Amino acid sequence: MVSARFSPFELLLLKSRNQTDTAALLLLAWVMVSKGNVLPEDKHYLETLASGFRHGHALDPLIEIAGGQDMSAIQLAAEVLQKDWWNEQSFAFLRQAIGLATSNGQLAASNNHILRFLADLLGVAPAAFNQLFQEVAGRPLASPEDPSRADYWQAREHARQQQSQREREREREREREREREQQSRQRHEQDERQRREREEHEYQRHWRRQGAGADDRGKRNRDDRPPPGDRSLRALHVLGLDARATRGDIKKAYRRLAQTHHPDRFYSHGERRMATASQRFQRIKNAYEYLMQDARFV
Amino acid sequence: MRDLYKRLGVEPSADDASIGAAIDACDNSALKADAAAVLRVGARREAYDGLHGMLSELGRLRARLGLTHGAHWRGDVANDFSLTPDLAQSRHDQLVAKLDAAVAGQARLARWRRLMPWLIIAGFSLIAAGGFAAGRWLG
Repeated sequence: MVSARFSPFELLLLKSRNQTDTAALLLLAWVMVSKGNVLPEDKHYLETLASGFRHGHALDPLIEIAGGQDMSAIQLAAEVLQKDWWNEQSFAFLRQAIGLATSNGQLAASNNHILRFLADLLGVAPAAFNQLFQEVAGRPLASPEDPSRADYWQAREHARQQQSQREREREREREREREREQQSRQRHEQDERQRREREEHEYQRHWRRQGAGADDRGKRNRDDRPPPGDRSLRALHVLGLDARATRGDIKKAYRRLAQTHHPDRFYSHGERRMATASQRFQRIKNAYEYLMQDARFV
Repeated sequence: MRDLYKRLGVEPSADDASIGAAIDACDNSALKADAAAVLRVGARREAYDGLHGMLSELGRLRARLGLTHGAHWRGDVANDFSLTPDLAQSRHDQLVAKLDAAVAGQARLARWRRLMPWLIIAGFSLIAAGGFAAGRWLG
């Protein structure tokens, strides 16, 4: 009877163990659904974040409300947050929001605006917010793009064309490389055969001259390029790659892994989770640095 | 980002024909070129509309939360998507009012419930008195 007059989010808020935390979770869910394509990891990340909040209910209704773009619910959540939060908490919350928004490596235009809105809501000045963004995402916060301009679209299409061209070129380069390798191997084998014949010849001559057998022919240096060493293989394995990886692959893998395992993403999970995350992160970073100074990948 | 619909003087939900007419009639050549490049291509207009909707919602939110002059809200976005502050529509106050009403309703209900036994007794005694009177009259 009474419940018919309360909206779903109002009911959730009234039943929640802590209204501010529920409101914060709704805003985080809003950031998540505004990414466009929501990865399963994002949802999982939000769930782990929720365990740090005193919300006390299932997360799905909140995600549903945020997904329905229920602006009155979002306004209510924003008001609750604006009333109740002070500085430290709002920084932790903004960290989580930034981590969630940039978890796939890019920041959607709508999320750029949402993050700026949240910063204004919590009274965080641009300088402080930019610094925070830099810390979490590893790059400065770009000013929002402007799709109302023709040159935005031209630049976009240009970039796409260039990318496909670059890919085509890389493919061609790889083919050329393969050919060159094959040729050099053939040449190498030919040389080897000739040398062996010559040595055989000389050996026989020598043997004939000496009369006695000296069977130490000396070891031949066969391969001029050693296979990747044990340590680089292990480092490649840390980055989830195999021996065929190129420098570009290594960089890409490192960037992806660094983003998912960055300790700042585990900020709210407590000391222990953050420590294990920073161990993992350190291992990834060490592997990357080792591979970058490896001559094979220059 | 500019609000092309507002600057062209059409509704965001307008169809392609009326938008085309508005673009043709536009006398600002820079705006005309940009609007033609963005709104005349289906995919671009779709992407633009997505962001346009989000910014309209954010503008409304900011107006209601008193954030129309926030430090992160500036340039063309702030010019085109800001509304006049409208602090009367606080959802939190609405929720508090609703809660008060609900609590008052509950209190009224509780008062009636407290009176209920007496009402029942009164009803029963009335019926009994009626029955007694009817018995006397018949007999």
